[in-house]
Amino acid sequence: MATDIRRELEDATESADLPLSSIDARGTLLGFIGVAGFVALWYVASLFQPSYVLPSPLAVAETFRAEAESGEMLIALGQSIRHWLPGAVIGTTLGVAAGVAFGWSRLLDDLSAPVVRLLRPVPPLALVGFAIAWFGIGDAGAAFIIAVGAFWINFYAAYGGVEGVSEDLLDVARSLGVEGDLELVRSVVIPAASPEILTGVRTGLGRCWMLVVASEIFGVPGIGRRILRAGQNLQVDVVIAYILVLSLMFLLVDVAFRAVQRRVLAWR
Amino acid sequence: MALNDPIGTQVSVDNVSKQYSGKGGPVHALSEVSFGVEDGEFVCIVGPSGCGKTTLFRIIAGLEEPTDGSVRLGGDRVEGPTADMGVVFQEYHLFPWRTVRGNVAFGLEKGGVSAAERRERVDSLVDLVGLEGFADSYPKELSGGMKQRVAIARALATDPSLLLMDEPFGAVDAQTREMLQNELLDIWEQTGKTVLFVTHDVEEAVKLADRVVVMAKEPGRIRDVIEVDLPRPRSRSDADFGAYYERVLGLIRE
Repeated sequence: MATDIRRELEDATESADLPLSSIDARGTLLGFIGVAGFVALWYVASLFQPSYVLPSPLAVAETFRAEAESGEMLIALGQSIRHWLPGAVIGTTLGVAAGVAFGWSRLLDDLSAPVVRLLRPVPPLALVGFAIAWFGIGDAGAAFIIAVGAFWINFYAAYGGVEGVSEDLLDVARSLGVEGDLELVRSVVIPAASPEILTGVRTGLGRCWMLVVASEIFGVPGIGRRILRAGQNLQVDVVIAYILVLSLMFLLVDVAFRAVQRRVLAWR
Repeated sequence: MALNDPIGTQVSVDNVSKQYSGKGGPVHALSEVSFGVEDGEFVCIVGPSGCGKTTLFRIIAGLEEPTDGSVRLGGDRVEGPTADMGVVFQEYHLFPWRTVRGNVAFGLEKGGVSAAERRERVDSLVDLVGLEGFADSYPKELSGGMKQRVAIARALATDPSLLLMDEPFGAVDAQTREMLQNELLDIWEQTGKTVLFVTHDVEEAVKLADRVVVMAKEPGRIRDVIEVDLPRPRSRSDADFGAYYERVLGLIRE
């Protein structure tokens, strides 16, 4: 028997390398070269522009250091996280839950389709009025705007994932005694749709960092507020320094989430 | 089990018909199909493509409803999928996010079975299908033949009285198919399960079955039921094997 299996294993299909887990030295090196090239290009361009149009990378680095040392940057980051985190968590949770429910239930889907089409194109920024009216000028209002952005990304990702779940797997589960919608969703639909759901969560978390700027447009303090104010004062170096903070946070969260994703989806 | 259960009859298919509405009027996928399977018997359903054998399989499994007629398992009417029937599909349909062990355990997780007992049962089934050493592998790491072994173990986990299989070895190469056929016969002999096995392969049917239900198409119906009175293991080079083979093939071609 063992040799039979070994023979079969030889023609076992495409299991060799996983697209998610390849970290190659060549890619990393090229990435560094790309970054260096970009900074060099920026530097050269900045030589021909006044600093209020395009400050040099060195000037930005200096501003970044000053803002970091004064503690301003950390305070602004802390303020932004106070609405990024609840916004992302609430928007993601509700988005995934609604996407799974509407993707699974034909009834819910038919009922909601027109409403979804109506609400979907509304940009989160357009909801500032509601944010203020419902939650006031504060973290809750800002979190609301972020949550709306996260909601739709997760809604569509989960919805699509659930729609793609194979009818055959559901048949197998039923024939193994799984009864009722809730049990099927728990034991088959969610795990089967988890790659799409997790891609949605990841995209959504990134989008939430972008929405930090929009969510602070009506006066809530944080990184976004700092960027908007510096922009009005033509302090382009400050703008770029705080954009860098957002980029770094995005990167940090993305790398961490990818590690989680890789573990959870090891079966792929 | 119901009181009116005819002794020894495990599955009874009574006057099952199935119609679909097609473009040019109703399509008769199945027309008044009736047959029974005895307890512990190995029955193959064989027929040309389009004879409705997969529809019949789905109706017996409770995955589709007949337009007319009924299916009984151990005397109880089949009204939906039931864990008392182990179902194996041609394309395996393993849960890709679960390991071999996790797939086999799936049907045992609804409570009633303690974790220790479940583990023991799963391990013994994994051994039964010859996958010891692969218990923690994911389906993507397995060949087609190995996947089908997992599917068989998974179907046996709930200790069903009937193993219902739809062309289970249709997607593997000839060598693996032969191996799996022999293993299935071993499992059948060891466990004493009733097996109902759908195939389009006449040789496979004659090799495996106690009785072969031969179907015809347009409309899908039973042409004849042939009892294969040959000792096992059967070899296709035997003259008697050849005679049965020709007879079944003749019925299909009629």
